[in-house]
Amino acid sequence: MTNKQEHGGSGLAQETGELKMMSRATYFREALLRNIFMLCAIVAVAAVALIFVFVGVRGWPVVDDPGIVAFLTGTEWSSTYGEFGILPLVSGTLVVTLGALLLGAPLAIGTAVFLSEIASPRMRSIVRPAVEMLAGVPSVVFGFFGLVIIRPVVADLTGSMGFGPLTAALILAVMIVPTIATLTEDALRSVAPGIRHASYAMGATTWQTIYKVLIPAAKIGIIDATILGMGRAIGETMAVVMVAGNAPQFFSGLGEPVATLTSQIVIDMSYASGTHRTALFGLAVILFLISMGLVGLVRSLARLERRS
Amino acid sequence: MLLGSVVLPGCGGSGGAREQVIVSGSTTLLPIAEVSAEMFGEENPTVSVLVSGMGSSAGIENVASGSSDIGTSSRELKDEEAALGLTDTVVAYDAIAVIVNPSNPVRDLTIEQVRAIFAGEITNWSEVGGPDLDIGVVNRDEASGTREAFKKIIMGDTRFYKGAVVLPGTGQVRAVVADVEGAIGYISLGFVTDEVAAVAIDDVMPSEEAVVNGSYTIQRTLHFFTREEVSTATQAYIDFVLSDEVQETIVREAGFIPITAKQDGSD
Repeated sequence: MTNKQEHGGSGLAQETGELKMMSRATYFREALLRNIFMLCAIVAVAAVALIFVFVGVRGWPVVDDPGIVAFLTGTEWSSTYGEFGILPLVSGTLVVTLGALLLGAPLAIGTAVFLSEIASPRMRSIVRPAVEMLAGVPSVVFGFFGLVIIRPVVADLTGSMGFGPLTAALILAVMIVPTIATLTEDALRSVAPGIRHASYAMGATTWQTIYKVLIPAAKIGIIDATILGMGRAIGETMAVVMVAGNAPQFFSGLGEPVATLTSQIVIDMSYASGTHRTALFGLAVILFLISMGLVGLVRSLARLERRS
Repeated sequence: MLLGSVVLPGCGGSGGAREQVIVSGSTTLLPIAEVSAEMFGEENPTVSVLVSGMGSSAGIENVASGSSDIGTSSRELKDEEAALGLTDTVVAYDAIAVIVNPSNPVRDLTIEQVRAIFAGEITNWSEVGGPDLDIGVVNRDEASGTREAFKKIIMGDTRFYKGAVVLPGTGQVRAVVADVEGAIGYISLGFVTDEVAAVAIDDVMPSEEAVVNGSYTIQRTLHFFTREEVSTATQAYIDFVLSDEVQETIVREAGFIPITAKQDGSD
């Protein structure tokens, strides 16, 4: 036994040794590729870390000037008077983003349900590329469209000049449709086919299957998609600058101008210096924290889903 | 050609290296600086004038720090900038016109009314003799030299209305006022077209004559700021901008008022 084993063992060692010798070139190529891919990942991670450190270091002085409390709880943003309170900007961002989600999420989820459950393959081959193309339209084009087409409509509706959260939310609603629709469709498709078939076998109609079985089953995926859409809406800048009116005041009506965190950075950065510049980096830190929070939320939802 | 001969000896000997004059600052002044730089470059092939528009504040900062040869500005120096020891050359005058939608019958406002409108105290056109229509105040962003000048001349210590729509460009202000019935804004006189109607301030319509004789008060001076020592090429470019050739064509076509107009007027 022992002999045999030894013999067999050495044979195996020889074989694997030969295999290694045979594939040395392959081995190096594999190792090289592994390292190249790792480098790619490191560059991406390092970029995020560097940006965060840079923004953090440049924004840190707001703690002393204007002071962290004045910065976080101040109700006026006016560089002329040296006032840098972010509350009006946070309020503007919240109103615009929530408005965009309220209008955009149902639209996107409806699109996704249509694509995954109702549309014929032919129909799908038309609708899906159209939705994907929406994601490729530059935001400045959306902004221009909003300025020229949607703003006058909102102006008539609200009796104002049409610059404000409603116009911004309408444009953002369309802009976030591709993000939410694509991810929701994936979530619906990943529902096990058996569940769908079982529902139909029980005599449920298409509509009953969709809202009683499929949507609950894909719930977490749909929430995920909506959060990512929200991230897109919060970060969108160009289109918002063009239609939001950019007045750093608290929400005072659907047609009254507001400013968001991102739009204020764009408007101010060309000329800001000193405390003002620091405060803009402070805004960037806030945006960073918001997006980190959203990503964290998505991750923990994904964990929840795996557990259930 | 005469100017060319001034510049050439300065750099002709240095083995064909082109001398650079870097100009940065006000976007209002861009049309003047850019077009004259192009013409100047054609007449003086050994000098290249590089022009960029980043706002008056940036221009002043750049010339003081030495990264530009000329800082262009559509506003006066602030107190802290006055200490930088910059040399001021006036290159043109400009009037800021208060504009309304052409369908609005109001064509006459006092300075006090304009101030109250932009402070948000007067909110309906009926309060200034117009129709019963909400006033839509359109303001410029705080980087704007036009806003700075308007604030200094009209607003003084009064704060702008916080709910005013803020737009980051002259063209956008004009487009919105042209489109919205109740809107009011302010833009450089050179940008006023038929789409909008300029308003008389204290009974004086903005015009070249009114600026020259001083009766139209919302006017400002456009500056080139330089350090005390300037290169021959920089001086040649400034002289070129001040020449009748540029003043009477480029400056006038850009909608500004040439310095010669005021000199003639005061003579």
